[in-house]
Amino acid sequence: MPTRSSTRVVALLFLGLGAGLAACGKSDASADGKKTFGYVTNGIASFWVIAKAGALAAGEELDVDVEVRMPGPPEDAEQKRTIEELLAMNVDGIAISPVKPDNQLDVINEAAARTHLITHDSDAPGSDRLVYIGMDNYLAGRMCGELVKEALPDGGEIMIFVGRLGQDNADLRRQGLIDELLDRSMDSTRHDKPGEELKGDKYTILDTRTDNFDSAAAKSQAEDALAKYPDIDGMVGLFAYNPPAILEALAAAGKKGEVQVIAFDEDTVTLQAIEDGSCHGTVVQNPYRYGYESVKMLAAIAEGDKSVIPASGFLDIPARKITKDSVVDFRTELESLIAGTAEVK
Amino acid sequence: MKKILGITTLLIVVVAATAALSPNFLTAYNVQNIIRWSALFGILSVGVAFVIVTGGIDLSIGSVVGLVGCTLAMLLNPIDERPPGWAWKSVFQIQGCIAIVAAVIWGLARFYGRSRGSGRRLLWLGLAGAALFAAGRYAPGFDLPAWLHLPFVVLWVLALSLQIGLLHGLLITKIGLQPFVVTLCGLLFYRGLTRWVAADQTQGFGSGFTGLRKLATGKLPLTDDFALPVPAIALAVLAILSGVLLNKTIFGRYMLALGRNETATRYSGIDTDRYVILAYAICSLLAGIGGILFALDINSIQPSGHGNFYELYAIAAAVLGGCSLRGGEGSILGVVIGAAVMRVLYNAINVLGIPTQLEFAIIGLVILGGVIADELVKRLAAKRRAARQARDPA
Repeated sequence: MPTRSSTRVVALLFLGLGAGLAACGKSDASADGKKTFGYVTNGIASFWVIAKAGALAAGEELDVDVEVRMPGPPEDAEQKRTIEELLAMNVDGIAISPVKPDNQLDVINEAAARTHLITHDSDAPGSDRLVYIGMDNYLAGRMCGELVKEALPDGGEIMIFVGRLGQDNADLRRQGLIDELLDRSMDSTRHDKPGEELKGDKYTILDTRTDNFDSAAAKSQAEDALAKYPDIDGMVGLFAYNPPAILEALAAAGKKGEVQVIAFDEDTVTLQAIEDGSCHGTVVQNPYRYGYESVKMLAAIAEGDKSVIPASGFLDIPARKITKDSVVDFRTELESLIAGTAEVK
Repeated sequence: MKKILGITTLLIVVVAATAALSPNFLTAYNVQNIIRWSALFGILSVGVAFVIVTGGIDLSIGSVVGLVGCTLAMLLNPIDERPPGWAWKSVFQIQGCIAIVAAVIWGLARFYGRSRGSGRRLLWLGLAGAALFAAGRYAPGFDLPAWLHLPFVVLWVLALSLQIGLLHGLLITKIGLQPFVVTLCGLLFYRGLTRWVAADQTQGFGSGFTGLRKLATGKLPLTDDFALPVPAIALAVLAILSGVLLNKTIFGRYMLALGRNETATRYSGIDTDRYVILAYAICSLLAGIGGILFALDINSIQPSGHGNFYELYAIAAAVLGGCSLRGGEGSILGVVIGAAVMRVLYNAINVLGIPTQLEFAIIGLVILGGVIADELVKRLAAKRRAARQARDPA
């Protein structure tokens, strides 16, 4: 009878699915008696793959389990789900890079109440997190501005490209860059609205364009900027994939080397371009140490040692400027970090 | 011709308005860029037009673009630590899995009585899949010579996308699932697969494969300062082939007919299942071709994001170009113009210096306005025709 046999087929299918899922997952954190920590990123990117290597290295060193979770879009909703799942697994601590800290206070504070919670990469000001491990994005932005000044000592017109505005790291980097170029005082609370041309003595910031984390859109934005401003002097990409997109657009327009490119983060294309001279320099964070220090900090706190928490509540992992002189060394360091063969610097 | 009048007018209006407002819009450089992007998205749109014409939908295009781009870059760029023969061995294993999955789907279809395939043939398909898988897994590894490796990878990646379409078609016709569900699952599955295969690492071609990359970034000089981007040629060839297939051949007739009324078409003695499967296969194959070109053009393929939402751009372009989501109607030229309208809008927003935050709002509004105007014109024409007939009954 066809109905009987199809019921059987369906039942078999579901059995198979169930078995497959059970084989893939693991549901309780403390099953093997080790402490377990959750390391939650703010999206999926090569940057986080490096951080993951750091987190796992610390896990191995300290003999704890580390669950690295990279939420996909929509990241804020996925982060909430991820935290809930980690809490359900009874983890001993969570490190998170919140996408929208202001709106996520409830989730973050609930997690902080139920386990040890720290932030990394991007802070959640005003929350109950124990410590923030990361860099000062405003200062990193100013560093990026210094690179622009090196690349264009006589001034010029520049344009900023970034994945999205409205998240802390993007806004602060952009503001730091603008403040440095316009020679303003240190004040990370300033905010210049995007879409307005900003004119200083030597430097003009034409515009800030966003692409919603789409590499194709990032490239087309760069092309459109070249079409609109054929005499542009410099292009600054604030997220890892922006500089490669800018470089692609410049290469296609035959303007590589003519327009100065100043980058952020350590995409392989960016580093190669710095070596070739088509990109002046980049500001790099240290994602490996974000991962490593987060797990180390959580492990210490979970053992009851709160003395590892700095009084300021901020563990600074400063950004670095990488230019042609330092790029080869930096790349070697990076490669060995990903391969897991190097000690943390 | 009447069907694409509205969209062509919209394109001309947007181009004229932007050109009047910005001197940088009609520069050779900018026009070349618009043509390249329109061609890339146009290829996806032409593909989805076939599916829409049959009354179906394909939501998996963006994920197929991501999967194809990532696989292409990974297979072409074997990282040093990988064992010899890694690329073709992986291909054999994946191909084996696909054959087994196809055999299982066919087997399931037999329970529903919608397939006349013989059991023995299924068994052979399954066994062939298992053999391929085993060969890929256990055969000694050796590297293909470079001149053979490149065409092998490119052709196989295209074959992969074609098979994805065939599987969609099989699930929809032989098991009777809804296209929306099948391709939505595809959207999720291929995205997850891409991320897993690439371990979330951004893929690319580095500074290599310059010859192959010319397919996407190359230009054919026409005058001293204007050169036609190569993807435009690819789109022209594909669009002409598609136009002929849809309008001048029996395949196209049947697709249009079954899109209007599948039951009536089947009762006319036409094997509608075959043409539905063909439509999905064409759609995914074009998504694969587009995926290759996108990857070659952008040279930075993020497994989690590459191609996200492209299915919606493709569907929007197809609908703008006169395809009815109810099926049975469509014009390839209209779809190509629809894709161009989308890209011109994106470009205009940037070249005019409108804040990017308003991007989607403006595109949504302009498209909506265009569709409303189109509808009004059609109604007006119908009213006039009716009035004329009333006046002049003969």
